[in-house]
Amino acid sequence: MKIFAADTSAKSASVALVENGVIKGEYFINTMLTHSETLMPMVDLLFKSVRVQPKDIDCFAVNCGPGSFTGLRIGIAAVKGMTFAFDKPCAAVSTLESMAYNLTAENAVVCAVMDARCSQVYNALFDISGNEPLRLCEDRALQIDQLISELRNIDKRIILVGDGANLCFERMSQELENIELSNENVRYQRASSTAFAAEKLFEKGEILTSSQLMPRYLRLPQAQRELLAKKSLNNK
Amino acid sequence: MTVFKSTDLNQTEQLGKRIADALTGTEVIAYFGGLGMGKTTLTRAIVEALGTEDNVSSPTFSIVNEYKSKYNVYHFDMYRVESWEDLYSTGFFDYLDTGVLIVEWSENIENALPENTVRITITKGENDSERIFEIEGLEI
Repeated sequence: MKIFAADTSAKSASVALVENGVIKGEYFINTMLTHSETLMPMVDLLFKSVRVQPKDIDCFAVNCGPGSFTGLRIGIAAVKGMTFAFDKPCAAVSTLESMAYNLTAENAVVCAVMDARCSQVYNALFDISGNEPLRLCEDRALQIDQLISELRNIDKRIILVGDGANLCFERMSQELENIELSNENVRYQRASSTAFAAEKLFEKGEILTSSQLMPRYLRLPQAQRELLAKKSLNNK
Repeated sequence: MTVFKSTDLNQTEQLGKRIADALTGTEVIAYFGGLGMGKTTLTRAIVEALGTEDNVSSPTFSIVNEYKSKYNVYHFDMYRVESWEDLYSTGFFDYLDTGVLIVEWSENIENALPENTVRITITKGENDSERIFEIEGLEI
């Protein structure tokens, strides 16, 4: 089974082709360049390099959120277009879950964190001691302080991944003895991990049609969504 | 905090140049001050000092204008931004750290501004053509 996967959910962008559990090809860039300019050339290069035609793909996967507003739309629009054109199934992967697949075979809890700004993160927790990451909570948006108090209840090693990992590590390393920062090479979302997460969804029959594929934005808690400073008068 | 008084366009252009010279490329500049205070005029002065050939205009309807210059400059108008979802869907958070963001009507998104934001408060001076600029967070 051939899975094509794409990720444009944050600053980096990547595409990968995984066939029966083997990464046949993967392109990853982490520059300030715009995904709308880099994604399709990477897709083209990937298919040419691995000598596979898009029509031979069994499932197209994409990280659907959480993530950047524009970034998610670029990746999803591209996958929507390809699956519409070739009439293929899609797998909508949680960005946070995909990152848990960067780390397997560790007896630990993966704490996936993406920077949502203003001391908030998008987060989910996964136990990775088994064959596949076991989800411990739904994807959510919360204050870093709130996350710290939740993590106090975990005795296992906790490994931080995601673009909020550095930020969280700085805040948590003093307070939590069992917190670790993942290595740079496995810290960020990768399309190959998206493909592995998609494989599990495909096995469970959790697949979508092109038109069902949508971004999954997470809402911040009400208190954090207040834009106006209390003292400031809105004089418009 | 730097206080700068301007009585004409020429002086505002000088202020724009001083601000432009102090930038390193990823600042957020937030304006506070009501209608007709000269926010767009100051923005034009800053961006022209950065060497743009683009036309600088108020992004009231487009929400964000993009100018190519020494740095990428993203010029926002938050007048019609009323909720966190509105702000998120402007791509504001995606633009942070990728260039200089200049934000009109920052009052509307004050809680979402990064900690190191450069704040420029504009008030009227003694007469109609005089403006007082209070600049916090940037040495000019």
